[in-house]
Amino acid sequence: MKHIAWAFLLLGLLSCLPAQAQDSLRKAEDAYRQGRYSAALTEYENLLRTSPNDPFVYYNIGNCYFKMGSKGLAAANYYRAFKLNPRDNDIRHNLSLALAAGGEKFVPSGVPEALHKAFYGLSQRELTGLTFLMFWICCAIGCIWLLTRHFKYLWLFTCLCALLTGCWYWARAQQDNQSLAVVALPTAEIRSGPGTNFPASAGIAQGHLVTIEDQRDSWYEVIVKSQGIKGWIEQSAVEKI
Amino acid sequence: MKKWLLCGYLLFTVLSAYAQVSLRASVDKQDLALDDELTLIVQIEGVRGNISTPQLPSLPAFNVYSRAREQSTINGETTLIFRYTMLPRFVGTATIGSVKFSYGNQTYQTEPITVRVYHSGQQRPSASVPATPSDSFQLPTPKAASQSNKNLPPLEASLAEQAYANGNEPFFLVAAVSDRTPYVNESIYLAIRFYYSRAFYDAPYQKPSVSNIFMEDLGSTEGTQRINGTLYRYQEQRYQLTGAAAGKATIGSAVVHYRVGSSPLAALDRLFGGAAISPEKTAESAPFSLYIRALPQDKPSSFYGAVGKEFNISAQISPKNVEAGDAVNLTVTVTGDSNLKSTGELKFPSVEGFKVYPAASESGSATTSNGKLLHYKSFKAVYVPTSSGIYEIPAIAWSYFDPQQGQYKTLSSRPLVLSVSPSSKTDSGFNFAAAAPTGNGIQTLARDISYLKTTEAPEPGTLDLLADFKWLNWVAVALFGVCSLFTLFGRKSLAKKKPFLTAKSRLKQATHSEVIADVLADYLLQRFSIATGSLQLQNITAALQRKGVRPATAESFTELWQRLDAARFAPAELGEQSTANLSAQALAIINLMEDETK
Repeated sequence: MKHIAWAFLLLGLLSCLPAQAQDSLRKAEDAYRQGRYSAALTEYENLLRTSPNDPFVYYNIGNCYFKMGSKGLAAANYYRAFKLNPRDNDIRHNLSLALAAGGEKFVPSGVPEALHKAFYGLSQRELTGLTFLMFWICCAIGCIWLLTRHFKYLWLFTCLCALLTGCWYWARAQQDNQSLAVVALPTAEIRSGPGTNFPASAGIAQGHLVTIEDQRDSWYEVIVKSQGIKGWIEQSAVEKI
Repeated sequence: MKKWLLCGYLLFTVLSAYAQVSLRASVDKQDLALDDELTLIVQIEGVRGNISTPQLPSLPAFNVYSRAREQSTINGETTLIFRYTMLPRFVGTATIGSVKFSYGNQTYQTEPITVRVYHSGQQRPSASVPATPSDSFQLPTPKAASQSNKNLPPLEASLAEQAYANGNEPFFLVAAVSDRTPYVNESIYLAIRFYYSRAFYDAPYQKPSVSNIFMEDLGSTEGTQRINGTLYRYQEQRYQLTGAAAGKATIGSAVVHYRVGSSPLAALDRLFGGAAISPEKTAESAPFSLYIRALPQDKPSSFYGAVGKEFNISAQISPKNVEAGDAVNLTVTVTGDSNLKSTGELKFPSVEGFKVYPAASESGSATTSNGKLLHYKSFKAVYVPTSSGIYEIPAIAWSYFDPQQGQYKTLSSRPLVLSVSPSSKTDSGFNFAAAAPTGNGIQTLARDISYLKTTEAPEPGTLDLLADFKWLNWVAVALFGVCSLFTLFGRKSLAKKKPFLTAKSRLKQATHSEVIADVLADYLLQRFSIATGSLQLQNITAALQRKGVRPATAESFTELWQRLDAARFAPAELGEQSTANLSAQALAIINLMEDETK
């Protein structure tokens, strides 16, 4: 009897969790609509603790930062959302705007939008799952062919598909494994060495996308690909994605 | 003539102005208790133009802690009133010497003022007590000293006690500390006095050596003291001491080397029987040791090593209204009566939405208007807001140890409110207000981000979930490997076994000698690639032996083959029983062949 009571209590608590999340979402939206972006941000950050892989929460956090004028932090959060859900058009749109505010282009010059969308058609996890699936199918049909000497051409076709998927996965991994960061402060300085005793070689506005190459104490060695600049920037000036 | 008259008029004016200058000094009371305040009022009248500050005499018996100045000018003549608020340091009669004031190449001075200082708990003495004419303050006689010393601070009491003990010597040096068992980092005072009742020539001073203690020079003072009826002058050197670590600390002897007599250059003095220079003599203070006490263990997290009893904390930010990304300076200042140089750096609180850059702290000391040494330490940090909003920098806690109460105390600054507006700095590469006609009747006025997502994200799809089954890759690889191995090795073995198994199966069902012969022929063809139809029996036997079949087995095969041939041509001679025997014999021979040719 006691066990049944506990089970009911647990079920009751579990059923409350989605309701609480909905309540927080509603509160955050109300605050956002009233222009209290800081309060909305606090709500969304609380939600992030319970749903750390929810792309929509990152998207909403990005919106709050954008409205508060921190386009660098907004871009960083849109990027996190994009990594989790790359097919969402709103996320793509807002990320494009946030990056454009810093002079960056979301779709690199010369790359057709359709190709970019196709390349980022699946999230990294989905692409991993697809690669696995193709590999399993390839192995299964290969086994059938080995044992029966039937379906030879089907096996060759699945091998080709698995190979192409593997190439796609590898190309995406090259992109996604880059350590990216966004300049979070309104202005930051790029120096020739990891310290303030080195002269500043460039000033960089918030929202610029940088690739982290190395780290020394509280400094990152970064490359700003859009500008062709390499140098050292303080960790506190950028938000790692 | 006019020039002379003008010069004469000017001279008269200046002289008359100087003639009207007056300097007066007075006190608000003649008798006061040890803890009373005394106000010295210096009034200057009839001065013009630039005026210097009056010069106070040496006041060893008082601590001057407040100075105030009032000024009024009527018809170009200025009246200045200076008020000095002082606290007496000793009981007895104290004289405030002449106050001097220089004006127009003339020096004015006031008459000395004598006041009496009595113990705080005592009745005010009667006015008939005669004041001592000398400009010294008088300590009680030795007999009364022990009683009176109880009311003096420990440092002064100890100095007085030692002075009375050495009172018969014309030159002597005494040293005392305000506390012999201070805590680690607690500031105490060391005073070293060189008493002399006769003139001396050249007296270099050598300060004491110390161990396990930090010593900071606080400067020197001069004074006079009557001991056993003899007037002594003294020079006092003060230090602030701070214990470095728990345990014993030592203070060595302070030394003064002096010579009695007049200058060796005073030739006339010596010629006419003046005092010659005596050999160098030495006055030393007694060395002594202190015991530095360790601080209690229950230190609060905001304790950075300060020990004392009168601390204050304040915090301020500048500016209070900034844009996102601008720097805000937060300064936290701690002041107190103890040395703060060796205390640790303050840990600034992190505030959500701010980057914090702590800067180097500054420490030092300054003398207040009442003559007290005030120590301070300023901790600075730069806070950079990353986004707009109204923020509160929380109260900052700072703890110290109160040695008198033997416990830790915590001070907190007030929370500070900061208003951060969105950054107005121009971002490169994008203009939100850009209006671009699209050519289809719609004009883009501005571009903004899409609205919030008001629902939770959809559940992950199948492909997303498949990414968790990484272990299945190994299963697939293993399965494929097994199939490959089977294809490579199992298939050959199976092909090798197949003629035997077929022959065995057919022999079991054979009902006629011809069938047995066919089975054997098929077996030889499939297993050893020997076509029996085209070879004679001897050649078949030889071919079998070449394939590894033993001669005995080959011989048995020959016999069996001949019997089968015979049966083919005379089938009536064989019964059902014989066919079964032939079949068994054939099976036995095939078994042997299999074994021998593995």
